Amino acid sequence: MWLLRDSVFIGVLEASPLILAAMGFTLIYYLNGFINFAYGESITYGAYFAALFNVSFGIGFYWSIVPAALLAGGLSVATYLFLFRPAFKRGVKPTEMIILSIGLSFMLRYGLILIVGAENIYLSEPPVAYFNFLGVGATNLQLIALVLVLVFAFNLYWIIYRTGFGEVIRALANNEQLAMVSGINPHKVSVSVWFIAGVAGGLSGVFSGIFALANPLMGWNVILITIMVCIVAGVGSVRGALVASVVAGILTAAITLVSKPLYAEVILLSAFVFVLWYRGRRLT
Amino acid sequence: MAYLIFSISLLLIYMGLAQLLHVQFGMLGIPNFGVVGFWGFGMYGVAVFNVQFGWPFLFALVITCLLVAILAYGLGMLILRLEGQAILCATLAFSAIVTLLVITEKWLTFGVVGLGTIQYPVRIGAATEIIYFMLLLLIIGSFQLAINKLHQSRLGRLTIAIRDNEELAASLGKDTFKTKLILFTLTSCLMGMLGGLSAPLNQFLTPNMLVPGVTFAVWIALVLGGKENTFGAMLGVFITFGLFDILVETYLPVSPEYAVMVPNFKLFLYGAVLVAVLVYRPAGILNNRQAHTRWPNADLS
Amino acid sequence: MKIRVRNLNKSYHLHPVLALQEAEFGAYELEGLIGPNGAGKSTLMGLLTQRIPPTSGNIWFDIDGHEHNLRTMRVHEVARLGLVKTNQRIQGFESLSIRDSLRLAATAHSQETLRGVLDKNQIDDDIESEIDHYLSLFSFSNPNGYALSGGEKKLLDILRCLVLKPRMLLMDEPTAGLPDDITQQVMRLVVEKARAQQMRVLIVEHDLELIWSFCDYVHFLSDGEMLFQGTPENVKKNRVVAEKYMGV
Repeated sequence: MWLLRDSVFIGVLEASPLILAAMGFTLIYYLNGFINFAYGESITYGAYFAALFNVSFGIGFYWSIVPAALLAGGLSVATYLFLFRPAFKRGVKPTEMIILSIGLSFMLRYGLILIVGAENIYLSEPPVAYFNFLGVGATNLQLIALVLVLVFAFNLYWIIYRTGFGEVIRALANNEQLAMVSGINPHKVSVSVWFIAGVAGGLSGVFSGIFALANPLMGWNVILITIMVCIVAGVGSVRGALVASVVAGILTAAITLVSKPLYAEVILLSAFVFVLWYRGRRLT
Repeated sequence: MAYLIFSISLLLIYMGLAQLLHVQFGMLGIPNFGVVGFWGFGMYGVAVFNVQFGWPFLFALVITCLLVAILAYGLGMLILRLEGQAILCATLAFSAIVTLLVITEKWLTFGVVGLGTIQYPVRIGAATEIIYFMLLLLIIGSFQLAINKLHQSRLGRLTIAIRDNEELAASLGKDTFKTKLILFTLTSCLMGMLGGLSAPLNQFLTPNMLVPGVTFAVWIALVLGGKENTFGAMLGVFITFGLFDILVETYLPVSPEYAVMVPNFKLFLYGAVLVAVLVYRPAGILNNRQAHTRWPNADLS
Repeated sequence: MKIRVRNLNKSYHLHPVLALQEAEFGAYELEGLIGPNGAGKSTLMGLLTQRIPPTSGNIWFDIDGHEHNLRTMRVHEVARLGLVKTNQRIQGFESLSIRDSLRLAATAHSQETLRGVLDKNQIDDDIESEIDHYLSLFSFSNPNGYALSGGEKKLLDILRCLVLKPRMLLMDEPTAGLPDDITQQVMRLVVEKARAQQMRVLIVEHDLELIWSFCDYVHFLSDGEMLFQGTPENVKKNRVVAEKYMGV
C-alpha cells in the first residue's frame, strides 16, 4: 500500500517535466505527422536559456524562466521555418523527416557543447526548501513545477478542446487543403503551434531534475520516453499525453522504489515496443 | 603503426555495418536505428562469454551470433509489420535497452567500470593485429560479394520491390513480411558478429562505447553515399569515420585543450551533413535518381 | 471457379460502407460490377483480396469444388490462390524497369529465397519469352526501360497481373488513365483469355459501353448493397438501376 501511495505522489511530482514535454511534442506530432527528435533540444535549450539569464545576467531564478521559455519557443519556430517547412515542401518522406530531425538534434546538441562545454551548469535557484507533500518529501522547485504544469496543462487543454484555435489545429491536421479553402492560414497556425510546443519543452527543461541544472544531453535522454508516451497516448491527443505521462511517471517511481531507476527506463521502453506491436496487430 | 592498424580495422568494422544497413534500409526500406544495439550486444556477448565464462573466442562468437539472431527475430516479429516511423523508434528503443542493461547488469558486464581484457583468438606475436586485420578485410570483401550477388538475384529484385511498394508486392503473391524478417534477422545477426569481432580490437569495453553516435555514424555513411549501392555507403564510412576518427583525431596536430572538442565537433558536423544531404539530395551525394528516371535507357539486369 | 460472400460488412468509424447478405462472383466468364460513386465497389474488391479487413462476414473462394476461406488468409496468400486485382490508382515499383517488374510478378516465390541467390542462372527462359510476348503486343516507348507516363504505369499494372496467370482477375476501373486504343487492346486480350477458360474476370467500370459489350453478367451495387444482378440486357432495362445510376 505504501508503495502505491508513494509511487503515485512521487510519480506525479516527478512527472511534471515529462508532462510538459509530452504535451508540446504531441502538438507537433499531431499537426505535422512526424516524429521530431529535435524537440529534445527545445528541452535542453530551455534549461540553457534559463542558465544564461540566471547565471550570466544574474536575474532571479523565477524571472529567468519567462525569457527562457519564450526563447525556447522561438528556437522551435526557427527549426520549423528554416528546416522542417522547406523539407515538407520538398516532399521529404516521413521516415526521412525523422532522420532529418535526428540530424538537426545532433547539430544543436553538439553545437551547444562546442560553445558552452559539456559540464553541468547549475542555476542559482532560491534556497531549496523541503516540504511534506501528503506524506512525501518534496522540494519547493518540484511543487512550483507541479503548479506550473497544472496551469499550463489546463490552458493547453482549454485551448485545444474549447477554443476556435483548437478547432483550427484539428482542421489543419486532418486536411490542409480543406482547411485552407475554409480560410485558415496554415502558416500562422503552424508557427503558433511550434511556438507553444517549444515553450512547453523549454519549461520542461528548466524543471528537469530535483535541482535546477542544464546539461547538453538532458533533452536526448528524455526524448525517447517522451515520444513513447505520445505514441502510446494516441496521435495528437493532448488529453492522452497528459494521462500517459502521469502513468509513466508513476510507473517510473514505483519501479525506482523497488529496484533501480534504469530498470524503469528498460521496462518503459520494452512496454513501448509491445504497445507498438499491439497497435499494428490490431490494424492488419 | 599498431594504432593505425587498429584504426583501419575499426574502419572495416564500420564499413561492414554500413553494408548491412544498406541491405536493411537501402534494399528493404527498414529504418534500423538500433545498429549500435545489435553491434554492442555482439561485442559484449563475446566479451562476457570469453572473459567471465572463459569460453574460447570462436565458441563465444558463435553463441553470441545465435543470441543476436534470436533477438533480431523476436524484435522483427514485433515490428516489421509496422510503418517506418514506428520501426525507427522501436529499434532506437531496443538499442537504448541494450545500453541500459550493459550498465545495470554489473555482475556480467562490470557496468561502467569496464570489462576486459579480450584477447585475440589467435596470437602470433607482432603479426597478430595484421592478421586480424586481413581477416576483417576478408569478411568485408565477402560481404560485398554476397551483396552484389543479392542485387543480381531474384530475392534482391523482390527486396527492391518491397522497398518501393510493399503493399503492391504483397498483392503479387509475395510474402513481404517473411522476406523482411529473414533478411533482417540475418543482417542483424551479422551486425552482432561484427560487434563480436570488435571486442578483441577494443580489448577493454565500457558502456560509453554503445552510444547512439555509432548508429549515427553508419547512417551518415549510408545517407552520404546514397542508398542505391554499397560503394556509396563504404565511401561514406571513409569520409566520416576515416576522416574524423583516424585522420583528425589521431594525426592532425591539435592542441590538447581543443583535442577534447574534436569528437563533439565531429558529431556536430555529422548532424549538419545529414541535414544538408537530406534537404538537398535525399538520394545521397553519389546518386542521381532524377537521371535514372529521365534517361531510362538501360536494362539493369 | 466462384467467390461466395456471406453477410459481408465493412464500416469505417461505425459508418457502414458495405453490407452484402449474399453474393456470388465468377459464375460467368466475364462479369461487371457497376454502381454510383461511393457505392462500395472498390471497397468490395479490397475486401475480396483481403487488402481491406472486413468488419464481419465470410468470403470463400471455390476452386474446382474445393473451398478456401479467404478470411483467414493474408494478402499474398490470396494472390497465390489466383485471385488478383489490378489497381484503380497508379501503383508501381519506381526502381524496377518494365521488364524487371514483369519478371518479379512471373517469378515463383519458391525461387526468391536466400538459397536462390546462389543460383547461377537467375533468368528463366519461359518467363522471358512470355514477357517478350506481352511486350510485343503493347508498345511501350521504351520496353527495356522504365514505365514513364501514367498510361504506361497503368498498363504495366495490368500486365503484371496477367503474367501472374490468375484464376480470377479483378479489374478496378481499367480504362481510367489508359488511352482508348490501349484500353481496346487490353480488353481484347483479357476477353480472349476469359473465353479460352484461362481465367474469370470481374470488372469495375464507369464506362458502361465497355460493360455492356464485354460482360455476360452484371452486378449493380448501390449504397453498399447489391440491388440488382442479371444479364446486361436485364440490367439495362431495370428501373432501379436506371433511376439510381444512369439518371434516366
